Amino acid sequence: MWHITKREIYDNLNSLRFALTAVLLLALMVTNAVKHLREQPKRVQRYQDAVTESSDRLTAHADDSLYKLAQYGPGNFYKKPSSLHFCANGGELVLPDTVKVDDPPVFMTDAEGNRLLEGIWSLSYPDANLQNKNVGPNVSQVDWAFIIGYILSLIALWFTFDAFSGEREQGTLRLMLANSIPRHTVLIGKFLGALLSVSIPFALAVLVNLLLISTANTVHLTPEAWGRLGIIFCLALLYTSLFVALGLLVSARVQQSAVSLMILLLTWVTFVVFMPSTLASIASSFSPAMSFDEFWQQRNPIQENLWEKYKEGLWSSELDDWKLRAKSEFYTENAEREERRQEEQLKYRASQVHRARAITSISPATLLQHLMEGFAGTGFERHLQFVENTQRYARQLREFVADTDRADPESLHILAVREGMSQKPISPESVPRFEDTLNLSRDFNTAATELLLLTLFVLVLLSGAYLAFVRVEV
Amino acid sequence: MMTTLIGRELLNNLMTFRFAAALLITLLLVVANTVVLIKDYEQRLKDYNTSVQTHHQEIREKETYSAGEVEVDRPPNPLSIFNVGLDKRLGNEIWIAHNNVPTLWEARMNASDNPYLNILSSIDIVFIFKVVLSLMALLFAYDALAGEREQGTLRLVLTHPVRRGHILLAKYISAMLCLLVPLLLSLLLAMILLTTTASISLGTDDFLRIGGIVLTSIAYLSVFYLIGLFISAVTQRTGTALMLAMFVWGALVLVYPNLILATIRSSDIPEAKAVSAFNEIKQVWDEFDRERKHFLATDAFPGEDPTFNINGMGFFYEHFPENRLTLLYLYNSMMTFGELDEKFEEEVPHAQNYFQFLIPSTIKTAERAWLIRKQALEDTLVQKSNMKRTLLKFSPVGMYDAATQAWAGTDLKGVRDFFDAVRQYRQTVIDYFYNKNAFASRKWFAADEGAADWRTLPTFSFKRSSVEINANRALPDLLLLLTMSLLLFMIIFLVFIKSEV
Repeated sequence: MWHITKREIYDNLNSLRFALTAVLLLALMVTNAVKHLREQPKRVQRYQDAVTESSDRLTAHADDSLYKLAQYGPGNFYKKPSSLHFCANGGELVLPDTVKVDDPPVFMTDAEGNRLLEGIWSLSYPDANLQNKNVGPNVSQVDWAFIIGYILSLIALWFTFDAFSGEREQGTLRLMLANSIPRHTVLIGKFLGALLSVSIPFALAVLVNLLLISTANTVHLTPEAWGRLGIIFCLALLYTSLFVALGLLVSARVQQSAVSLMILLLTWVTFVVFMPSTLASIASSFSPAMSFDEFWQQRNPIQENLWEKYKEGLWSSELDDWKLRAKSEFYTENAEREERRQEEQLKYRASQVHRARAITSISPATLLQHLMEGFAGTGFERHLQFVENTQRYARQLREFVADTDRADPESLHILAVREGMSQKPISPESVPRFEDTLNLSRDFNTAATELLLLTLFVLVLLSGAYLAFVRVEV
Repeated sequence: MMTTLIGRELLNNLMTFRFAAALLITLLLVVANTVVLIKDYEQRLKDYNTSVQTHHQEIREKETYSAGEVEVDRPPNPLSIFNVGLDKRLGNEIWIAHNNVPTLWEARMNASDNPYLNILSSIDIVFIFKVVLSLMALLFAYDALAGEREQGTLRLVLTHPVRRGHILLAKYISAMLCLLVPLLLSLLLAMILLTTTASISLGTDDFLRIGGIVLTSIAYLSVFYLIGLFISAVTQRTGTALMLAMFVWGALVLVYPNLILATIRSSDIPEAKAVSAFNEIKQVWDEFDRERKHFLATDAFPGEDPTFNINGMGFFYEHFPENRLTLLYLYNSMMTFGELDEKFEEEVPHAQNYFQFLIPSTIKTAERAWLIRKQALEDTLVQKSNMKRTLLKFSPVGMYDAATQAWAGTDLKGVRDFFDAVRQYRQTVIDYFYNKNAFASRKWFAADEGAADWRTLPTFSFKRSSVEINANRALPDLLLLLTMSLLLFMIIFLVFIKSEV
């Protein structure tokens, strides 16, 4: 078997396609690295500036008083840019990178501008703001997901289309099988040979890419990032073997190598280029054709009028406990309602995207795209994780405010109202800070189904190739 | 002789597996996607109609003139089914006010859109042609000369008194005829689907535009066929020719467009030019603000209070919103009250006087700022994207895309036509205000003596540019494709004449 593998590799190493492949992959990977080195520092800088500003806001509020912190909350949250951004861009332009903390609403002021009725902060999820400002042509990014998903798969077909049909044409296949080699050994040898000959230029290009990125002192890769890179490389191999198996399958069934290449190309175009977009369009046109406002009205037929509910308490002339409690409940419930509305909208939109993503998973190219995004820490799932992180932190901060208030003997412990809360400044160090974290095991869990599906595809195609080759006449 | 040659080639091409496969795949993809695209268009049209109606209603419910910010919508382009271009990407809803001359950077997306769906890739008919037809053309061409040379039939044909040029021409004509079958047949099916859909009404102009798209597609096909023929002419073996053809296809269709754009710096940090323009705009508005304050300080009601102490149910605000990325800076203010207490009656004439001065001055300043902003936006944002487009045109794919977008009117120029119309409409709205003497009237800020009158406000309608303009925009790229074909043919001819059989 190793002889066959070796022979295959030697054959390929000397061929024109090997040279072209190496040049092509190198050019793409170097571009990818250069682009990343140019943009990543800016991205990180922007993130750090934004985070510092948010953190300063939080400190200022804490220095003022606990009430101020309870009313204005923390500053906006920002999504931490992934250090593996060059692996998968993940729709950077379409996805927002922030969760906003809305300023407290003002319901009523008196003639001098004093706030009679105000509220407290709430979370909101803005859309990406750059999206409709981009008038440039729409082209996908040169990230690893593109290089592997489109280019490497094409190269795998390019290397295997004549694996059997070419040898059959030349008559060498008969010669080889005349020796006492079982057919499955030949098949596995061919498979490994093709996989390795594709992997060699790819590994080379990856090496150059990573060398460029890791030696630059403007970006850093943590040990965990290297682990993720290892997973991504394995993913690339798995994905490539899928197309190698496909190439062998078709090549074994078809007599002429030209016809074999044609069938392979048409299959490739259908599954890699058209399936994702066509299915995505179908999926998004299947999802309910109603605007979010309709959806919201359906879900909440009786929009309880908060104003009515607390009117008596709010209008009571005396500033007693009852009025304070009414105010507190009004503010809290208003913020909660606003937040819930925002969250529902996000969930509704996310479920639409999830549905579309599930349908497009028939295409191996989309599977790879999703997996790459998952392990690179970019893309839609990552965005949802970031949103979840901010929600968890928001709860944590509110609990912290309640606990701190409870510790102050002078406070009335009526939250969200100026008169009912502790007015003492608190030490900014004691306030919990937001940290946007990524969790590798969680990423694995979300990726598990897709990983299994991809492996299944590979196995099916491999056994198909085996069956085809065993039954074929030479 | 020519006809014999063409007939032979035609038979050779038509009876092949690749022809059947090409036809099947193209038809399948085009029909399936047209159905989806039509559905998508209908949805967008519905959203547009709802949005127009809502906006129409909203403005008529405004009680004062100053609260009347008119919103207009951009209708979806039915030809976006062929090439979607920027039609879905740029905002389709924009506000018109006296304090700003609107640009496409202020446009928003309809509220019913799900912006997250944009992470999924989208498709249109031209995209299918772009990928599949180029592949087909190369597959038909790679063995045209190399294959015959291998089989020895080329030598046989040349023993007859046939000119080499004639052989080439016959091959070209017959292959193009074959390739036209999937193209035209799939377009025909798409057209049947389009014309039978009730919500899509295509005029004569639209059919001409579609004709333009077909013409461009043929030119595109021809370029790729000739590239394949060139490869076939210079290589000895079909295997090598096929491999090279695939490489060229991958390089031109997949790699080049992405690679070239990746090498260009993206502009997320405003350049010096944009910064200075922004400061200039700010100065213009600062000057306006000084005049405003001066007016307030020296009028009959001295002080700096632009509300003249008037208060009631309603609201007042003023601020200078800014966006450095799109060079937006303006004075935004609104004062609108439903009922006015009688005790403010004395101040009302002062307020009227003030607004009579303020609003025309705002309009003038907005126009001054627009002149600066227009040039700066052009220099920083539009030119950069145009440079990217030019670079893309080094591949025939880029030319094809640009030309079909121009025909469909979904290119940047086509979308900008809409914003030109919006700016004109803004002028109409301002004229309407002047006619109603709205700025000096009490109804500008208070509705106690009757609400603002919106009944005769002209409605906005947008007509896409005429087909001549589309043609003018598409012609350079179409001509480029044709020139490229001609050049390639000449080169192949030279190579073929000199080659040994």
